[in-house]
Amino acid sequence: MKQLLIKCMVSLGFILSLYTLNIATVMAHGEKALEPFIRMRTIQWYDVQWDKQKFNVNEEVSVSGKFHVAEDWPVSVPKPEAAFLNISTPGPVLIRTERYLNGKPFMNSVALQPGGDYNFKIVLKGRLPGRYHIHPFFNLKDAGQVMGPGVWLEITGSPSDFFNEVKTINGEVIDMETYGLGNGIFWHLFWGLLATAWLLWWLRRPLFIPRYRMLEAGLEDELITSHDRLIAKAMLVGVPLLVLAVNAMTISEYPNAIPLQASLDQILPLSAQVNAGVVDVETLKAEYRIPERSMEFTVKVNNRSENPVQIGEFSTANVHFLNKDLQAAYQGDSTTMTAFEGLSLENPAPIQPGEQRTMTITARDGFWESEKLNGLIRDADSRIGGLLFLYDSVIGARYISSITAAVIPKFN
Amino acid sequence: MSVNISNRSFRPYTGEKARITRAYDYLILVLALFLFIGSFHLHFALTVGDWDFWVDWKDRQWWPLVTPLMGITFPAAVQSVMWTKFRLPLGATLCVAALLIGTWITRIFAYHYWNYFPINMVLPATMLPGALVLDAILMLSNSLTVTAVLGGASFALLFYPSNWPLFGMFHVPVEYGNGQLTVADLFGFEYIRTGMPEYLRIIERGTLRTYGQYAAPLAAFCSALLCILMYTLWWFIGKWFATVRYLNKI
Repeated sequence: MKQLLIKCMVSLGFILSLYTLNIATVMAHGEKALEPFIRMRTIQWYDVQWDKQKFNVNEEVSVSGKFHVAEDWPVSVPKPEAAFLNISTPGPVLIRTERYLNGKPFMNSVALQPGGDYNFKIVLKGRLPGRYHIHPFFNLKDAGQVMGPGVWLEITGSPSDFFNEVKTINGEVIDMETYGLGNGIFWHLFWGLLATAWLLWWLRRPLFIPRYRMLEAGLEDELITSHDRLIAKAMLVGVPLLVLAVNAMTISEYPNAIPLQASLDQILPLSAQVNAGVVDVETLKAEYRIPERSMEFTVKVNNRSENPVQIGEFSTANVHFLNKDLQAAYQGDSTTMTAFEGLSLENPAPIQPGEQRTMTITARDGFWESEKLNGLIRDADSRIGGLLFLYDSVIGARYISSITAAVIPKFN
Repeated sequence: MSVNISNRSFRPYTGEKARITRAYDYLILVLALFLFIGSFHLHFALTVGDWDFWVDWKDRQWWPLVTPLMGITFPAAVQSVMWTKFRLPLGATLCVAALLIGTWITRIFAYHYWNYFPINMVLPATMLPGALVLDAILMLSNSLTVTAVLGGASFALLFYPSNWPLFGMFHVPVEYGNGQLTVADLFGFEYIRTGMPEYLRIIERGTLRTYGQYAAPLAAFCSALLCILMYTLWWFIGKWFATVRYLNKI
């Protein structure tokens, strides 16, 4: 029996050790977890760029880009009346020093307008060395996290070099890493010592069984002595007096203290960048062909500009399907999820000024599956949304349309 | 049913019996300490949660309302057991001290070393002054009613002033991004929390500042009233747990 037990334990240890040999760092943070219709029809990110991806502790790095708030906002998702532009990090390995929406700094949450266009910039500062996968993203109240495109950042240097000094309104320069820590520890120790003294006062004498017996025997008066009463009275008077006195001293030490700030920032959208009215695109139909992993759109394009335009890109949920003939015009980050030949057109000829053309475009790639976007066809809300990019090669202009349609699955 | 020991037949334990009962004291104390560190800390994290975790959640309305209200629960129950069965007026202090031990362990190891937050951003609040007063009132009054009314109210009313010396300095204003923030707000902005957007904070909501903008005293008095009721409820929960039904001889 003993030998059998030992064999079992050794086998279990061997199996567990196999797991420890294959430990890998988690590389994702749920960016595919949100339903596809939310990822595709809420915040539509584009032109997101990092100014560098390798930097030192204390060095600043910024991410900037643009996003369109989809007009076809899902009915099951609350409107973005409180949204927080955030950064996904494994803890504060970076700190956020500045954040701008449409060029305006903002500290709190913000209300976004469906159909609105915004640009953003976040400035971060390296705090802890390491290699981290980082996304800009929006926390949407009651909806979840809508991720922007992610990149790998490498922070080099020593964590002990990090400093974060801030000047208060009174002109005092404080170190955020240690501010108030010594004072906090002092007060915890002070009250902790007082509490320990009170506990030891009682714990030094026989406790549970002897006291229970005496109580049952009616010797209650012997359990609480006059000394006990005196100390309790002193505590009853002394503790509140001390609390109020120290509180008054703190109030006089920080007379300009203010309550926590809780306002919602109000920032209006830019003038229309997407669906700006020069080139209009209307989606007539969308079909998803499951075996081919391709989304086929039938769209009607109305070119009201003065030059020919060509469709160059379809982008949804940070996946970019590029027309191989127009890759040079692509302004996004080519290291992210980009299908360089993923977009094909039924009629690749440029759409002439004044022309209205109904045509089929196909976005085909394994990204539909690997990014779990094909789950759309099994959702209660199976509408797709995304941005269609059209280019004018004569004057170098770019026109963007936010398109949307119900998706019809084709199983064979 | 409980053990009836008559006054005349009572003999204190001596020798081996005294030694064993003392060993039993230590055993129970160690077990109780770990029990309260675990259970009260879990209860507190699940109910008070972010108000105690983060410096930028410690506002003048909800923090002084919620924290004592949830913090008086275990102290009331343990006082009920310790006082009615042993005449030991240390239940509240023991519970709150155990809570703080658990909280500090978590803040240092989970929040600081594991998740890289500076400890000053996750500095816990203290309820020890209120707990000491609660124990003293119970001992001197030997009355549930008096302890619930005076002790429960004191526990709530002392919370904000006893923590202002710790957290007042985090309310110094800072000019940042064309606006004003407190140092505490700036912690929330700078030290990134992926799962904690700013709008999740339940702070400064409601109309408790109606009376001349004095939000904290109003919240404290509201909490005091609720603590009286909460204390009584949890006293009886403690009493229900402290049965001696199966004790025949001691």
